[in-house]
Formats: sequence, C-alpha cells, structure tokens
Amino acid sequence: MNFLNGTLLGGMVLGAVPLLIHLLHKRRFRVVPWGAMHLLDSVLKTNRRRMQLEQVLLLLIRIGIPLFLALAMARPVFKSGGMGVSGNEGLLLVVDHSYSMGAGERPGETLFDRARLEAQELTRTAPQGGVFQGVLLGEGGGILLDRPTHDPGRFLEALKRVTPSAGPADLAAGLQAAAGQLEKLREPVKSVVVLTDFQRASFGTADRAGVRTALDQLRGAGVDPAFVDLGARRGGSLHTDNVAVESVEFGSGLAGVGQKLQFRAAVRSYGETAHPDLGVAFRVDGVEKTVVRVNLGPGQTQQVVFEHVFESAGSHRVEVEGEGDGLAADNRFVACVPVLERVEVLLVNGEPSSQALRGETDFAEVALQPFRAGRMELADLLSARVVPVEKFSGAVLGKAAVVVLANVPKLSDPQLKDLEGFVKSGGGLMVWPGAKLDLDWYRGPFFRDGAGLLPLSFGEIQGEPRDAGRTVNVPPQRFEDSSLDFFNDPRNGSLGDAEIRVWHRLVPGKGGADPGKVLARLETGDPFLVGRNHGAGRVIMAATTLDADWNSFPLRPVYIPLLQRLVLGLASGGEPPRNLKVGATLTSFLPAKDAGRRFDIGLPEGGTAVVEAVARDGKAVLEFRGTRKPGFYTVSGPGLEPQHFAVNASRAESDLTRLSAGELEAFSRENGVRVFENAAAFRKLQRERRVGREIWRPILLGVLALLFGELWFQQRVTGSRVSVRGMEKGVLR
Amino acid sequence: MPVSDLGRFLSAEELRRLGGLQVLAREVVEGFCSGLHQSPHRGFSVEFRQHRAYVPGDEIRSIDWRVFGRTDRFYVREYEEETNLRAQLLVDVSGSMGYGPAGKAKWQYAVQLAACLAHLMIRQQDSVGLVTFDSGIRRVLPPRARPSHLQAILGELEGAKTGGESDLGSVFRAVLPKLQRRGLLVLISDCFGEVQPLLRALAQLRHGHQEVLVFQVLDRDELEFPFREWTQFECLERPGSVRLLDPAQVRGAYLERLEAFRSELRRGCRQNRVDLVELTTDSPLTEALAVYFKRRMQHR
Repeated sequence: MNFLNGTLLGGMVLGAVPLLIHLLHKRRFRVVPWGAMHLLDSVLKTNRRRMQLEQVLLLLIRIGIPLFLALAMARPVFKSGGMGVSGNEGLLLVVDHSYSMGAGERPGETLFDRARLEAQELTRTAPQGGVFQGVLLGEGGGILLDRPTHDPGRFLEALKRVTPSAGPADLAAGLQAAAGQLEKLREPVKSVVVLTDFQRASFGTADRAGVRTALDQLRGAGVDPAFVDLGARRGGSLHTDNVAVESVEFGSGLAGVGQKLQFRAAVRSYGETAHPDLGVAFRVDGVEKTVVRVNLGPGQTQQVVFEHVFESAGSHRVEVEGEGDGLAADNRFVACVPVLERVEVLLVNGEPSSQALRGETDFAEVALQPFRAGRMELADLLSARVVPVEKFSGAVLGKAAVVVLANVPKLSDPQLKDLEGFVKSGGGLMVWPGAKLDLDWYRGPFFRDGAGLLPLSFGEIQGEPRDAGRTVNVPPQRFEDSSLDFFNDPRNGSLGDAEIRVWHRLVPGKGGADPGKVLARLETGDPFLVGRNHGAGRVIMAATTLDADWNSFPLRPVYIPLLQRLVLGLASGGEPPRNLKVGATLTSFLPAKDAGRRFDIGLPEGGTAVVEAVARDGKAVLEFRGTRKPGFYTVSGPGLEPQHFAVNASRAESDLTRLSAGELEAFSRENGVRVFENAAAFRKLQRERRVGREIWRPILLGVLALLFGELWFQQRVTGSRVSVRGMEKGVLR
Repeated sequence: MPVSDLGRFLSAEELRRLGGLQVLAREVVEGFCSGLHQSPHRGFSVEFRQHRAYVPGDEIRSIDWRVFGRTDRFYVREYEEETNLRAQLLVDVSGSMGYGPAGKAKWQYAVQLAACLAHLMIRQQDSVGLVTFDSGIRRVLPPRARPSHLQAILGELEGAKTGGESDLGSVFRAVLPKLQRRGLLVLISDCFGEVQPLLRALAQLRHGHQEVLVFQVLDRDELEFPFREWTQFECLERPGSVRLLDPAQVRGAYLERLEAFRSELRRGCRQNRVDLVELTTDSPLTEALAVYFKRRMQHR
C-alpha cells in the first residue's frame, strides 16, 4: 500500500486525543457523598463487565475516527499485484473512421467528433514524456503519423484532419497494423486503445480469425488492447436513422448518343423513422434534371426511375442524391456513363443464306441492333453491316470499330494483312468458328503459334451436331473481364441458359506465346471465350458458332447482351471499369505514346493528384490507388479528353445499428478484451493497475460509519431507557 | 407549645396552613384521653352508638333496663368512645439521610416533618413519642400528650446528627416490644437498605395492630441521577467506601434499579396495608402533609 499524501499520516497522532481525554476525565473527577450507595453497588455488581466492555469499545471508536480520517486524507492506494510498470507510455490509438462514424444529429456531434474528444482525453491524461501514434480502422486506413510523436498537439492536429472514410471498418487489418506499429514503440508502457462505434455491420461480420490473430500479436507484445465504445448510451439515444441511395443501375453500362437510358435508383430507409416526402434528385454532369418525391416507410426500399438522353459522346457524370440526413456518405450515388457515337460492327459472313435466320450472321445482326430489327424508333448503340468473305478488305472496314468473323473458312493473305493492321491500330476482332473452317489456315497463318491474331488454336471438335446428342453449357462462374462482368449479376441473364452441342477445344501453341485470358469456360473445363490484346486492339475467339448450328445461344435472351457486351468491350479497347467502389484502384488505358507522361486526377474533395502513366501490354496504363472518398475522379491532361470515374462508398455501413449488449458482451468474452464507456474509465483502470486503487472513499465511508456508530453507541451507553415515575416536583405518587 | 418554638422549624406560612389540618387516625386506637379518634372498645364511652340483643357473656350492667321495661326483652347499650391517639415518630438519622445541599438535606426535611406531626398531634391532645435511629435506636422519648412534651421532642430533633448505617428491620424489631398499646407508628426515612427485612418488620407491626405510616424522603438527585462528568461517589454510611465511575454510563441501570427498589417497597406496603408517602426534599412540606391527611380522611 502506498500513500499519495503520506505526510498527512501524521494526523494519526490525533488518535491519542480521545484516549488522553478519557484518562484526563478519570483523573479529574468530582466527589459526591452519596446515600443510595446500595443501589449503585447492585448496579455495578451486575453491570461491571458490560460497562467496562462498552467503555473500551466507545474509546476504540473514538480513537478510530481521527485515525481513519487521517488515513483517508493521506489517500492510500492499494496495489493488488505486480501488474503495473512505471515509465513513459507509448499510446497507440486505433481510431475507427469508417463512414458510420460520420453519423450524428448535428455537425460537430458525430461519433467521429466524439472519438476526437476521447483521443484528447487520452492524450491529456497520458503521463509526461509519452509518445503517440494512430492507426485508422476504416477503409483505406493506415497510419496517422509518419512516425510517433511526443507532441500531443501534433497528434491531435493530425487526427483533426482525418474525416470519416467512405468504407466499412476492417478490425482485423486495423489491429494488425497496430501490432506492426507497436513494435516501433520503445516506451516501457504501451497502450493500445480502439475507439469505435461497434457497428454491427462491421463487427458482426468481422474476420474473427484475423481479429484473434491480431489480438494475439498485440498480447505477445505485452499489450492488452482496450476498446472504448463511442456508441455507448450516455444520456441519450444513438442516432440510427439513415436514408441511403443504395445503388443506381443503368442498362449495359454504355450508352450511345441520342439513346434513351434508364437509371434505376434504389433508396432505402434504415431505422424507425418514416420519410413520407423524401426528395430524390437526379443530376447529369452537375445539372439537376429532376427531383422525385417518394414516400419511404421505416425499413423500406423504394425504386426510383429516371430517364435521360445523352446528346454528346464522351464521359458523363450522373448523380442520384436523397435529401440529407445524419450520415452524408451514402446520401449520394454517383455513376459514370461512357457515351459513344454509334459503334459500327462489320460482320463477315462465312455461310450466307437466302433463308431468314439461316445465314451465319443473321442472328448476330439482329442481336446487335434489336431496335432497328424491330422497326422501333429507339436508337441502337451498335450498327451492324454484313459482308461476305470475298468482299472483305481494308476498304470495306470503313468506320467499323469491330470485325466479326463468323464461320469464315479462311482469308486471303491481303485480307489477313488488312485485318492485322486493323487490330493493331486499335480495332476489335471476334472470331466464331463453324463447320466451314479451314483448320490448317486457322492453325497456320492465323494462329502462328500464338504470334498471329488468334490467342489459341482451334483444336479437335467436341460434341455431336445432332439435337439429341450430349450438350454442355457455361456453368455459373465469376467473370473477371469487363465484357462479361455484366453477367455476374443473375438479374442480367445467365450464360448457362444455352446448350452447346459442338465446340472446338481451344489449345495453346508451342511457342510459349501469350495464350490470352480465358473469359469464360464450359462445364467441361474447356475455354468458351478467350481474349487477348493485339497491338492497340483486342481479339476475342469463341469455341462455338455465332449462329444456332452448334448451340442454342441465339435462341436465348442472353444472346443479345452477350454479343453487345463483347462488341462494346472490343470497341472500347477493353477499358477498365469507370464505376468503382471506395478503395478500388482507378485504372485508365491510354495510347502507348502517353507512357511516362504525368496526368492530373481531380479529386472529389477538391484538389488534384498527379499520376504518371506507365507502359504495359503495348499501351500506357494510369493507375491511382487513392480513391478514399466517394464522388467523381477526373483524369485530365494535355491532349486527353477528360475521363470521369465514379467512386461510391460501400453501403455495408448504412445500417447504423450497433451491436446489442449481448453481442458486445460476446465479442468482449470471445476476444478477451475489455470494453470501456469512455477513455476516462480506461485511464482509471490503467491507473489502478499501475499505481494502485485509491481506497480513501471506502475509508471515509468507514469514518462516517464510525461517527454514526459513536453517536448511536453513546446514546445506547448513556441514554436513559427508563422513565422515572413521579419525578414531577412535589409529592410523589 | 409556643408557636415561636415551632417556628424554628417551620415558616410562618407553613404554620398557618397547618392550622387547618386535622390528624385523624384511620383506625380506632386505645387512648386514655377523649379526642377525635375512635375507640375500638364499644360500650364504655359517652357517645351512644346502638342497641343490640343481649347475648350470654355480656355484662349485666350494660343492659338497658328502660328498653326492657318497654319491650320485655334484654338489650344492651353500645357506646362509641373517642380516645387519644398514641403516636410514635421514628426518625431516620443514618448517614444516607445526610445527602442533600446544606440546609436542605434529607434529615433536615425529616426533622421538619416530624416537628409538624408532633405539633399537630399534641394540639389534638394526642400522645406523641419520638425515636431516632440509624442501625440501632439512638434516643427514645415515650409518648406524652402534655404540651410541654413537644418541647422535649423538638429539642431532641434539633440535636440529632446523621451518621452510621441504617437497618430499619432491626430497629423495628427493637421498637416492637416497647409498643404495649395499639397506636400509630410514623416512620420518616429514605428506607434505603434491604427491603425484605423492612417489610417483614412492618408485617410484624401490623400483626401487633399498629397502624404504620411511612414517609419516604428522597432527594431529587437520587431520583434523577443527573451527574455527567466522572464522579467519585463516597458512601455516607460507610466512610471509606468509594466508587469512581462515569455516571452517564450507569444512569440507565441505576434508574432501573431505583425503580425496582421503589416498586418492591410500594408493593410490600400495600400488601401490609401500610401507607407509604413518597416525598422529595423540594416538596412543600405542608402540601405533602395535606395530601396524606386527605387520603386518610377518604379511608375513614
């Protein structure tokens, strides 16, 4: 036991005062000649022992009062074990800056503001000479300072500049980063404090194994991380109402000039509040086009549809924004729409037919321009032109952006040369096989062991052409290529709907050339579609026919989006996606000549970042990894048409519901961590562990108890419990 | 007795108020003189009471022959004879009676009370005697009805000094053989000591047809035990016997014990048909006497 005011222990000598008073009273007494001594004697005879005991007890109580009062004033601290280590403290704050931390009733009262206040309290109560470092727990988080600082002001200033991110919290990653930083702290006392709102969306789905591993790492470094619950109810309810624009979908992701495009926005209400007249604004290129008012009940999701016709080609920005609420990060959903002039496609028909839909390219021609085929006034984005093989030449290419070879037996050398030139200069080529293929030519000049246009060679034919034969299909799989990622959403159709009766095995050559990338596989494992860049252009080869001879694709609804996505992908040169999630890498393909040049990237929060394009796969690639905020990022530079990229926050944290008390307790129990209501509570426990627990309060209560006890005992010992009858003046009875 | 002699003990106001009182015995006692007191012996006094039928054994001379002449039956005359009271005052002058402030000690109060009673009784031509005692009898003045006897009693009271232990039981036992005739025994004491021997002695007195009246004189300090600081109590009856204690600590138990003592005394007196009058030294003397005599009148 130690004392914070040890000198006040001297006050314990006052304990002798009651004893002295007692002795003095016994020495200084009055003398009374007494007649009724026989009564006194009988009283003393029967009560002597009790009276002596009472005297001793009363004296002890009276001695105890100043003794314990002095003890309490000396502020004793009780140390239960050797848990504390004294010395400078290295304080590592793990601050949740996921976007739910931006929730709050009013500006300046968000959870993140509360985190800042708790951080301020922690630095204020830190021992002199400590160092501070911070780790951010949200999307795109990281280390707060380049190196730990002794200056709490600098630390807090850095934290002040941080705003809630636009992504969910990643507890495991944050704790692992903290473990890494902890190794750099040399202070004898290390503390790790996690400031978080315990949002269910993040903590309920946290990587438990990762969290446990990170916690073990921290404990291995001698630190028991503490969690401060910023969402703990402190005299008020936590703000959980939130309205989010969850998504905006628009067709295939590409649009043509003059084409009417439909945008379908999903608006969802979390929490218990109804929004009977919620305004949802639709903006294109920063100009508000319309505001729709919706009636949104608690927990409901409403679809809001907007239509727009783009008048010019290029990259266009679309925004859908709901009226503001406590959490701004998910009020707005942005999208980038590349609008193209009409894309011309040249279909080279290897098997023309005079009968409807019997020719090799008949189905494809309809699929590429369905409105025109249906004699509808709506504008098709694609325009298809069909030529027989013998008429194909560089001259007929015209403005075609994509050439499709459908069951073409072979090309003449000039035709091949023109085609190679077309692809190398940025054109797109799709090759669909058929029964008429001259396999020697395809495996020879067209493939040239991978050096030709084909990424793979056509191998053996598989399957039976008869209808009753065995069929295969394209099983559900994750499509990585931007041409096919459209089908990752089942609502857009499934490639597995079609049966494939006959297909070519696509086999690599012997030269070790780039075999391209398999875009989709059959259930047999054979490649179905393979793509490879060639020069500035791109080639996609299929394993089966473009018409219905070997498969039923043309008879399935998925045929239209499949062909359109493939053609548009080729027309856009395989451009990386323009609509991204926060934290994703922004990628732009530029002409090869731009390699080494620096481009500006306009950021949504203002300001620009400068990124240098690097040469890769025959073109210049621009990559930017700093998409930490939702909004539009614009790539610009000399001679470059501005390219917009839309970045949206994950809606995973839109539901602001916290872990319930039971879930919080389970989290605490499973991970062996302590959760505090605030930083002060953590500091108190820390102080108790390090210095000991102050016990003056219970001692003071004891003193009060002694005072009351003395009063009661005094009354009991000296109080008259007997009423004497007839004590009035005069004759008795 | 000249009033001036009594005035040594009583104030003029007290003497004035005493003049209206009459001492009446509850029971008829034998006496030699006529007075206000009723005799238990019917038939030989001047005041006719009743006729009753003759029974064998009645004296022949008590037959009322006039009634015989009218009725031809034997009736005897009964008379109610008024006699003088024969009273003995027993005044406790033991050490414990010395408690109290100077001039207001218990024994001084007892002496005043005895003087009052003697004065009243002699004025009514009753015989009054005096016995002073502590553990034993100190002085005895036999009962006399002469006015000059009051002087002797007052002189004796005036010369009394307190001291010694009290033992009421043995005193009564010693007094009993000297009481040859029925009369009134007035005890003025604090009655401190063993209660049971006292009660046994009272029972013996009652058995001897003595009417007993006890004036218990206490100081208010003995009733309230008002001491606060540490006190050494020195016994007034046994010099050298001292008790040093915190009075506040024993007060409760002392008062309990005192109440038990008084209750036991009251109960014993009631059982023996002994009148007990409890007085404190701050009680006005005449009021105390008045209360007592009123009660005696009611009992008559």
